Amino acid sequence: MSQTQTPAPSGQAPVAGGRVLSADGSWADNTWHVVREGEASEATDTPTLWPLVQWLERKAQGTLPANAGVWLAPADDPAALNADFARLPLVAVDFPRFFDGRGYSTASLLRRHGYTGELRAIGEVLIDQIFHLKRVGFDSFVPREDQNAAHATAALQRYSETYQGATDNPVPLFRRRAASLRTATGS
Amino acid sequence: MYRYDTIDRQLVNERVAEYRDQLQRFLAGELSEEEFMHLRLRNGLYRQRHAPMLRIAIPYGLLSSTQLRRLAHIARRYDRGYGHFTTRQNIQFNWIKLEETADILAELAEVEMHAIQTSGNCVRNITSDEFAGIAPDELVDPRPLAEILRQWSTFHPEFNWLPRKFKIAINGAKEDRAAVAFHDIGLHVLRGPDGQLGFRVLAGGGMGRTPAIGAVIREWLPWQHVLTYVESILRVYNRYGRRDNKFKARIKILVKALGAQEFARQVEEDFAQIIDGPSTLTQEEFDRVSAFFVPPPYDPQAPEVDPETVGDKAFARWAQRSVRAHKTPGYRSVVLSLKPTGIAPGDATAEQMDAVAEFSERFGFGQLRVTHEQNLVLPDVRCDQLHALWQAARQVGLATPNIGLLTDLIACPGGDFCALANAKSLPIAHSIQARFDDLDYQHDIGELDINISGCINSCGHHHVGHIGILGVDKDGEEWYQVSLGGADGSGAADGRNAIGKVIGPSFTATEMPDVMGRLLETYVRERIEGERFIDTVLRIGIAPFKDHVYQGSIHAHERAPDRVNDTRAATPKRQEVMT
Repeated sequence: MSQTQTPAPSGQAPVAGGRVLSADGSWADNTWHVVREGEASEATDTPTLWPLVQWLERKAQGTLPANAGVWLAPADDPAALNADFARLPLVAVDFPRFFDGRGYSTASLLRRHGYTGELRAIGEVLIDQIFHLKRVGFDSFVPREDQNAAHATAALQRYSETYQGATDNPVPLFRRRAASLRTATGS
Repeated sequence: MYRYDTIDRQLVNERVAEYRDQLQRFLAGELSEEEFMHLRLRNGLYRQRHAPMLRIAIPYGLLSSTQLRRLAHIARRYDRGYGHFTTRQNIQFNWIKLEETADILAELAEVEMHAIQTSGNCVRNITSDEFAGIAPDELVDPRPLAEILRQWSTFHPEFNWLPRKFKIAINGAKEDRAAVAFHDIGLHVLRGPDGQLGFRVLAGGGMGRTPAIGAVIREWLPWQHVLTYVESILRVYNRYGRRDNKFKARIKILVKALGAQEFARQVEEDFAQIIDGPSTLTQEEFDRVSAFFVPPPYDPQAPEVDPETVGDKAFARWAQRSVRAHKTPGYRSVVLSLKPTGIAPGDATAEQMDAVAEFSERFGFGQLRVTHEQNLVLPDVRCDQLHALWQAARQVGLATPNIGLLTDLIACPGGDFCALANAKSLPIAHSIQARFDDLDYQHDIGELDINISGCINSCGHHHVGHIGILGVDKDGEEWYQVSLGGADGSGAADGRNAIGKVIGPSFTATEMPDVMGRLLETYVRERIEGERFIDTVLRIGIAPFKDHVYQGSIHAHERAPDRVNDTRAATPKRQEVMT
């Protein structure tokens, strides 16, 4: 992936501009086209994220193009994809509004069900949500276009520790505390 | 009490840095009002009628003298010299400057305090019994489990954007002093037949527009599974709780819609996937946290004295109301009243906070408690020092002998401060306190919970008042609806609870003292020996009270049935609910 810098409007900090931030802090151009619900779209060679219903229909009809990923809306049941993890190059979860938190559980469940491919947060993805999105299992993010890119990158490292287990580290702090205490006391 | 280690300290400091950055971005125009609103609420900051309000967590009601002195300092340095203790074991400062909020949070972090998740649609401050660890009727000390839940819920990545706020309460005594049945999740800590620790789990309780008593969704949950089981409850709620209407977004609506049984089934289904996973609590962690809650070094020689036999009548009267039994012989706990007539219930000045901090050291081990009745508790006072404490407390106005009585009423800040309120609550509280200020009368009336809320969000917990008062807006005027027979589970050995029943059309503010007078007259007329107000209501029903109240002169004018006007709560700018 190429590390790019979108030219910023003069005098302003560089913004996310639709690019993709990875959990490792690198940025790349977004090569995926998102088909929204109700939007007519023909299968092309462009990598495309389809709404769940359309993706399932095409799968049933055997008309899924090679580069077909799927995106889940807040109310979609992630279990619908359980049998298809191997054939999915990318799964995205959409956040129509940043305060609708269903997508966090969607991500947790996809990971629990065994999806190990790339999981991407799209929609109203804001700087102050990125740390938690990473924790529940997202490994790439398309921040809203206006978001400050440097701040978004920094947000990945916002907290140095976490109390509870989550997808990124299922071992809660209390187990790690106990382990370090045992090491310290040599018991 | 729990003390932070380097990691706890670091996390709270990182939170302050995060908030400072968010505040700066907001002031620089990089965050919209709406975006910043959600972030500041998660740090306890509301916009109020006059000035921003900051709500600070007092986790499960425990405070050290150092922390209370810091709150006094904040009151002086950043507010107008006082603070307001709330019904959810928080303290609120009502006259804060937005620009100074990050500095206040930094000052709090220095004494291991914070305002994390005291508002917003996330898991709120965990509340518990203010007499935890000292009450004779305690089965299990809930504090270690409350602390473990506090850490688990802090910055939970999956449950930070719930459909609505989420409140967890935990109780370990026979009497329910944490009102667990009125919480989104209520936990009763118990010991099983084999001495094993576990929980009875309730879900879907709450007050507000649709009051509901929580349903038992699991009779017995072994303690090791509390974090994973609570996680499953929250996951079901996060996925399926309503988000289309904020008035139907609490978990109680989901539990009601699905039925408690079906809700429990869905929780169990998720729980089965994560049971015995890494989030299962360990004995090691339970022991580590429990070690912070061992009893202080009590003096085994402390004499056991009946406080009511010492000193004069005034002292005896105070002791009768304020002094509570203690697990340890020779000791008592003492409730300091924040309800003198004429002061907003729960308000304390910086000087009073400093004084209480000093009392907690002179008459105890430097700790105190905050109650959901908006009073303060000194937990470990020697019997032979009660008289000295009383004299000291009197000098700073903290010895009103009204604990549990008529004038020890609970009220939200109401229309004087809150942007949401339909009506003022403080003037109603004051007019009732002023009318019934006579102590002999109050002691004759005996135990009585009066709860006043300025709107249906019920921060004053009117649904569970023996007498509940709700401010309503009718065609732009402030009216007050009265209900009878509520109970939050405290004051009853069996923890019985109930939602009060509305007695009829509402009243004007000026009518309220007379309405109260008539309710009390009915009680005095009907009571049998030794019966409390609530017991009389339960025995004879609300009809005799209603008849007496609505008979004759209070209602000089014809009144239409209530049409409660909700337009204020529905106006976008007023969406910051106070609970």
